[in-house]
Amino acid sequence: MIRALLNAARSGAAEIWAHKTRSILSFLAIAVGSVVFIDAFSAIFHTYERLERQREFSGLARMHIMANQAASYSSADEYVEPPTFGYEQLKKLREQAPEFHMISGESRSWRNIMEYNGERVVASVNGITPEWMKRDFGYTLKGRFFTWHDVDEKLRVCVVIRRAPPPPGSKTARKAYNYTAAYDNLVSHNDLLGKTVKIDNLTFTVIGVAEEFPFSKRMQNFSGYREQVKLLVPITTAANYGLVRGNGQMEVSIDAGPEAGFEDALRKVNNFLKITFGDGDFFLVENQLEEIRKNMAARLKDAFVTISLGMLAFIAGGIGIMNVTLATVFARTKEIGIRRAVGASRSDIMLQFMVEAVLLGLIGGVLGSALGWLWGVPLKVILGMGASPIKPWMPLLSILIAAVTAFAFAIYPAWVAAGLKPADALRAE
Amino acid sequence: MTIHCSDLAKVYEGGKSGWPALRGLSFGIKPGEFVSVTGPSGCGKSTLLNIIGLLDEPTGGAYRLNGRDVVTLSDEERSRTRRDEIGFVFQSFHLLNRLSALENVCLPLRYAGAGGDEMRARAASLLARVGLHGKEKKTPLELSGGERQRVAIARALANSPKIILADEPTGNLDSASSREIMDSLFALNAEGITIVMVTHDKELAARTGRNIRMRDGRIES
Repeated sequence: MIRALLNAARSGAAEIWAHKTRSILSFLAIAVGSVVFIDAFSAIFHTYERLERQREFSGLARMHIMANQAASYSSADEYVEPPTFGYEQLKKLREQAPEFHMISGESRSWRNIMEYNGERVVASVNGITPEWMKRDFGYTLKGRFFTWHDVDEKLRVCVVIRRAPPPPGSKTARKAYNYTAAYDNLVSHNDLLGKTVKIDNLTFTVIGVAEEFPFSKRMQNFSGYREQVKLLVPITTAANYGLVRGNGQMEVSIDAGPEAGFEDALRKVNNFLKITFGDGDFFLVENQLEEIRKNMAARLKDAFVTISLGMLAFIAGGIGIMNVTLATVFARTKEIGIRRAVGASRSDIMLQFMVEAVLLGLIGGVLGSALGWLWGVPLKVILGMGASPIKPWMPLLSILIAAVTAFAFAIYPAWVAAGLKPADALRAE
Repeated sequence: MTIHCSDLAKVYEGGKSGWPALRGLSFGIKPGEFVSVTGPSGCGKSTLLNIIGLLDEPTGGAYRLNGRDVVTLSDEERSRTRRDEIGFVFQSFHLLNRLSALENVCLPLRYAGAGGDEMRARAASLLARVGLHGKEKKTPLELSGGERQRVAIARALANSPKIILADEPTGNLDSASSREIMDSLFALNAEGITIVMVTHDKELAARTGRNIRMRDGRIES
């Protein structure tokens, strides 16, 4: 049996080689299908991988409390001053939900001026609490981070962020990355730890320098978005000295912990908002788990559209192989007769044409996998799209699918070949 | 009896009632006989040879090969019988032009499950036996007509068959080559191989041990 297969493979390979042009044309569509499949596999894999990374990194049971400005304008008669979700409310929520993994309040500024050694640069301040470290903390810290003492006492201490070099990729991305070059230069060329700097003309002590992970090691959350952070101060200090917008108003990121209790956690937060601020809907709770799930569903849908395109290419390729094999059968009718005369059985003939077609499919699959890799790794990097994650099983699976497609589409022509009567086949010219 | 046919009939499909090629033939061929079959074109000689060689199936009558009813065999068994017990020599050689002489001779051996150096050595010795030593690597297109027919004979002998069926083996050859081929066939017959040969050549037919003359799908004498 193995010897028969080897014989069939030998003569199939010789036949493919003898008709190079015809063979290339017939496995081209299969190759295209393989490229598309690998791309889709890698997209699906990438989606799950990011989801997994996000889960490991910061959990998926995330929500976000944001001010709802529309609520202030909802009455026809008056503008309602929105209430403040400030440090007091944050502490109260923490007391009521000690089981949450993270409740991190944050307030931001548009623009502050930082001064060191007479050099003035534009920076923006994020007012935070110690729990900020439980966010996607992609930094190596020198010195120390904030304590609750710093926050409660509104101390004038700060942590500066030193940015890693910009990511490889498109020029636009790099340009966007460089807009605070002056601040980054100042921070990277001076060792600020323990030094005194001025922020909006107030003196602050630098208690920590947080250096961003290099781009390759950095964790990305599911959406791929990362806020650029420069200068951190305690949230109470920021509000007290007017360094940030909104008079102590903060946005709150919550990590409820395990995904299983997420619905309860969501209800708990909504109840807290209702009890604290009344029925005015001044705050919205963004369900990030839902967002991630939607986002993921959309990505998977895209991948399945791609897979259907790949399927179409495979079907086209299969029909091509069927056509070529059928043509081969008719062109080689006499050969079939000769082989039958010297003792080949129907199944030998069938095997020969099947093996030849599967070889075509395999060659197409291997070629397509090579092209798929070229597209997914070097080409996409050159085009600034970022490499696709291609795992060994992806080309292997697409080669297998190519072979199975070729096999399925070769059954009919091979059956025709095997059905030829030896005496009739010998008479063919 | 090596070959035993009784009331053998073959009707080709086509037309209202088909076209009868063989209309009831009964004969027997003993082991070691050299039988020639002659008759005008279209009398059914080739059809008869195809049926004897299991390349075609009769539509009526019985055919026993070496005492076994071969009409009812499965395709697998017919193919095996053809491979192991029968060798063919055709008028137009029927070699695969893509393959070398050696590979052509290897073909029946491969279908018999042979392989490797042993198989190639056997094929080479068969080629040497028909006088083609040194021409193993040539393709049929590089050989003369007589040489091609000798490759075909070597191929027919590959699995040591007891019967050789030759369909006008000298029809495409000049007289010198024809003589060589006929000498080879007579030599094989002398070794005990049964030979059935279809021919137009009355002189050749006269040299064989027995002549079956056919006309209109029947045996004349």
